[in-house]
Amino acid sequence: MNKQIIISIGREHGSAGHEIARLLAKKLNFPLYDKKFFTEIAHQNGLNINDIAKYDEVPRKYFFSRTVNGYSSSPEINVAELQFSLLKSRAADGDSFVVVGRCSDELLKSYPNFLSIFITADTKDKIQHIMQTKNLTESQAQKEIIKTDKARSVYHDYYCKSKWSECKTYDLTINASRLGIEGTTDFLFQFINQYFA
Amino acid sequence: MLLAQILSVAIFTVMFILIILEKFERHHITLVCGLFTLVFVFGIGMHSFKAVKETLSIHSMFVKGFWLATDGSHETSTGINWATIIFIVGMMIMVEGMGRVGFFRWLCMRLAKMVNYKVKSIFIVFMIMSAFLAMFIDSITVILFLATVTIELSTLLKFNPVPMILSEVFCANLGGSATMSGDPPNIIIGTSFGYSFTDFICNTGVIALIALVFMVTFFYFAYKNDLKVKQDVDITTFPTPESAITDKKGFALSCGIFILAIVLLITHANTGLSVATIGVLISFLTLITAPKHIPEILKKVDYKTVLFFLGLFVVVSGLEQTGILKIIADFIGKISGGNIYLMIAIIIWISAIASAFIDNIPFAATMIPVVQTLAASSGVPLTTMTWALAMGTDVGGSATPIGASANVVGIAVAGKAGYPIGWKNYCAKAVPATIITMLIATVYIFVVYL
Repeated sequence: MNKQIIISIGREHGSAGHEIARLLAKKLNFPLYDKKFFTEIAHQNGLNINDIAKYDEVPRKYFFSRTVNGYSSSPEINVAELQFSLLKSRAADGDSFVVVGRCSDELLKSYPNFLSIFITADTKDKIQHIMQTKNLTESQAQKEIIKTDKARSVYHDYYCKSKWSECKTYDLTINASRLGIEGTTDFLFQFINQYFA
Repeated sequence: MLLAQILSVAIFTVMFILIILEKFERHHITLVCGLFTLVFVFGIGMHSFKAVKETLSIHSMFVKGFWLATDGSHETSTGINWATIIFIVGMMIMVEGMGRVGFFRWLCMRLAKMVNYKVKSIFIVFMIMSAFLAMFIDSITVILFLATVTIELSTLLKFNPVPMILSEVFCANLGGSATMSGDPPNIIIGTSFGYSFTDFICNTGVIALIALVFMVTFFYFAYKNDLKVKQDVDITTFPTPESAITDKKGFALSCGIFILAIVLLITHANTGLSVATIGVLISFLTLITAPKHIPEILKKVDYKTVLFFLGLFVVVSGLEQTGILKIIADFIGKISGGNIYLMIAIIIWISAIASAFIDNIPFAATMIPVVQTLAASSGVPLTTMTWALAMGTDVGGSATPIGASANVVGIAVAGKAGYPIGWKNYCAKAVPATIITMLIATVYIFVVYL
């Protein structure tokens, strides 16, 4: 595929959405723009990667920030806007990429060859996934999933008119429990090839 | 009257909460709340057209003393403070004109070059420049330009700009407290009580100067290890200060208008020219010297802030007209038990703490009738109370990221450049700096005035 293609992956916590995005990017031979990418950019520009990582995809704290003439004291908003700006400039440069979250479903939807995907999974699979990857108990994993999804929802809906995880926000919503990580990746790869053919 | 009091407090409280929540633009909030005050508090609650008339205060602009006070008298205004609004608009126009021609960027680059781009020297010079500029220009503009140039220099010189920006923000708030034309609370206080530029500079100006010496020293030692340059740089490749000037003729004219504004402000007690007159004059000069750019300049004036002030004055007037502010003043008098030291300390420190968390402009506007009542009932000179209120509201806001507009803008500029500043990072030095400055102000006022 020679034309510019942008794939946005939204995901529920524990759905293996990030892993699927990584495998998909590898199959498509596209760069993956995720937390690691943004912190690497920060490092290259001499910025403190811990500061950037701390506020990555974190919703604004309401009573702890103010806005004056469009300028916000919220570090969460400022990091988000920095990332949005970077994504927009990569898109404007004609780059093809896979991007995880960061409101990319709305930010980049005006591009002609754009596809937004949301990855969900069965609750028991999400809990199991988090328990394994983060070495947590079932109860801890459950709480983490609720907390993280809530934060992502608040973050997304603050910047976007559309609603996080609602099916009409995305071109495609898929339950990764049905086909598994590899199966879902293969399905999405075929879908993308067919869609952009 | 009880209904009117309840309504005025309710409207004021709702206004404050809505401003904090930021669900709506703040000028919409204050205008609607102002309208509610006129209708429900003055109309339904008080049945008083006189209160409406006094609040709208349109008649005040048709009094000679509003524009020219030649006999030393002044109009003590209530309700909408039109002098503040006209002056602020005038200064906004002047500042937009100066920004358009590259004045602020030139000034920053010029000073940086003067000290041979040595980071620690830039750090000290920029703090002092921030304080000086904020004495005459609103701190938002000062920090917007200063922080932007600081980021640019940090990229060129390879240093962390955060300590410099945080120090500049503090010094801008401090500089704004020194004069009547610096911070909006001072403009409101000065025009409400009829105090001149000289009155402020001889009182809060002295406190601010003493505090500035301490603060430059404090921030230098607090941050000196953070100001290390990461690698050697070739300063010959840096952009020249002159490259910042976008319009040479306009630049010269802007400098002239700025100097004129300073002279007029310093001498206004002698000339009798009110700040409203000065505001009109400098805005007129700015516009006629750049006729091709009039639409561009006028478009950039922050009308939302002007409308915010309009609504705010009406809501505060609701509290004043219903006697709520007198109740607050009596309460302060009661808890201080007639002890004037305690009374002044309460004003300074409560103003400072409140300003650290809520917008200091509505707070100052609300406290003006309170200190006026308190001065009358306690016998403490109004001037003493005024300086206490000014220092508390102007500098107290420096303590937290949300306390003052300059803080918000400085943090935003840093954040957008990849240097997010959270509460911990901000408050680590800002809180002790604020406490030290408030202690200096308290001791000075106690020793000199009481």
